[in-house]
Amino acid sequence: MLQPFAAPSSTALRGVSLQVSPGEAVALLGTNGAGKTTLLRILATLLIPTRGTAIVAGFDCARDPKAVRRNLGYHAGSDLGFYARLTGAENLRFFGRLNYLSDSFLRTRIPSLAERFELGGALDRQVRTLSSGTIQRLSLVRALLHQPKVLLLDEPTRSLDALAAADFRRFLKAEVLQRQGTSLLFASHTLPEIETLADRVAILKEGNLITVDTPAALKSKAGTDSLEEAFSRLTGHSARSLEEFAC
Amino acid sequence: MMRILRDVLLFFERDLRIASSYRGPIVLELIEALFGAAMFYYVARFVDSPQLREALPQGTSYFAYSLVGFAFFDYLNAAVDCFERSLEEARDTGTLEPLLVTQVSLPVVLIGSSIYPFAQTTLRVGVYLGWGSVLFGFPLRSANWLAVVVVLIATLLSFSGLGIFSAAYLLLFKRGNPAKWFFLGVSSVVGGMLFPVSILPSWLQVVAHLNPVTYALDAMRAALLEGASLAAIARPLVVLFVFTLTLLPSSMLVFSWALQRTKITGTLSHR
Repeated sequence: MLQPFAAPSSTALRGVSLQVSPGEAVALLGTNGAGKTTLLRILATLLIPTRGTAIVAGFDCARDPKAVRRNLGYHAGSDLGFYARLTGAENLRFFGRLNYLSDSFLRTRIPSLAERFELGGALDRQVRTLSSGTIQRLSLVRALLHQPKVLLLDEPTRSLDALAAADFRRFLKAEVLQRQGTSLLFASHTLPEIETLADRVAILKEGNLITVDTPAALKSKAGTDSLEEAFSRLTGHSARSLEEFAC
Repeated sequence: MMRILRDVLLFFERDLRIASSYRGPIVLELIEALFGAAMFYYVARFVDSPQLREALPQGTSYFAYSLVGFAFFDYLNAAVDCFERSLEEARDTGTLEPLLVTQVSLPVVLIGSSIYPFAQTTLRVGVYLGWGSVLFGFPLRSANWLAVVVVLIATLLSFSGLGIFSAAYLLLFKRGNPAKWFFLGVSSVVGGMLFPVSILPSWLQVVAHLNPVTYALDAMRAALLEGASLAAIARPLVVLFVFTLTLLPSSMLVFSWALQRTKITGTLSHR
């Protein structure tokens, strides 16, 4: 897949070939600018690849974006993306209806997810009064509202506190991956999160896919018992860039 | 079709909820409209004369003439501005991308987001005319309301094409609304908003007659001030229809192309 930005000579992704099975979690790992977000945005139909194909739930992202979106939950990792003057519940209802979810379904689905994510009070408050961590949880709830077959998460726990992040990972594993069989592709800079959640890790470097394997296999390939060290050895990044990366 | 209508109404409901979360502006707009109508009334009293009445196409008072011109331009402004503004707002608040990963297409998002501004403009214009009628003798009773509504819809449809061109421009160039700057600027001089085009130099009158705003405004004044029938305003309606047929599909094509282009270049949500 190629994703040229302003200058035609600039290529964001090249030679990325990757498949995520139902119920599987694959982590995208790479330094800033490696192409993780670009890949997620292509799969979310927000970008169109100039070459190659991207298929989500059996539908081509470029040819049939609407069908792709029907099967897709996307969390961009930002604490923007909501109407500040609407309450959490009004926002979720609005986006749910745009995904053709019925009012009766939303009446039960929103409170049940809100309870799971401890969002109770936030539902009745205007989004402008919520903390960024709460908005992020709201965004994760929005991505899960329509029980998508494929979930794309960009730094899903960035603004969450440690307990909320751990709880979210448990929920993803037990409910979304194992029970619903959702395919999860997520980008993260948090190595313990990747080790906890990912069945496989795809390492990207400057738009190229270096390798895809289980965390254990990556460590063994690099001859180390630390994922951080394995990443460093496999990508050739210096210790300094690794420190920046870990932050 | 029903689904599109439902989606459009969802956006209207969203905007209504957001607007109702601010309580002050509605009252302020009512007051602003009162002062606006009063301003037109006193300017008209200052300049009004039998000769001026004779020179006006509908032979009405300058107050009624200028108030209709002003109200009409408010609509024109909404048509040219609202698509670009809703796109810019969605981009700046970060809601554009969450909207684009739903089942609703961007054109529907834009159309849906334009309903509230049009409704708001209608309310504002209604208040202007209402104040004008109650306090300053604006001749509302002579209007042919069916013809007024038809002219209004024809105007909104035809000039929405320019609004969609502006939204495409925003997608590609990130800031600015050339249709608004150029078209509304030119039309405010040659469209007959505050004075009849007959007082313009002959070469500007030629420009005025190439400008559909002139026809639309003539038709609106005829329907509102003289109670003209649909048959009587058929000619300007045909001009608006031709303009709609040309502008609306071409603007949609350009917008689709611009959207595709920004999705390829990765600049969709760039400011």
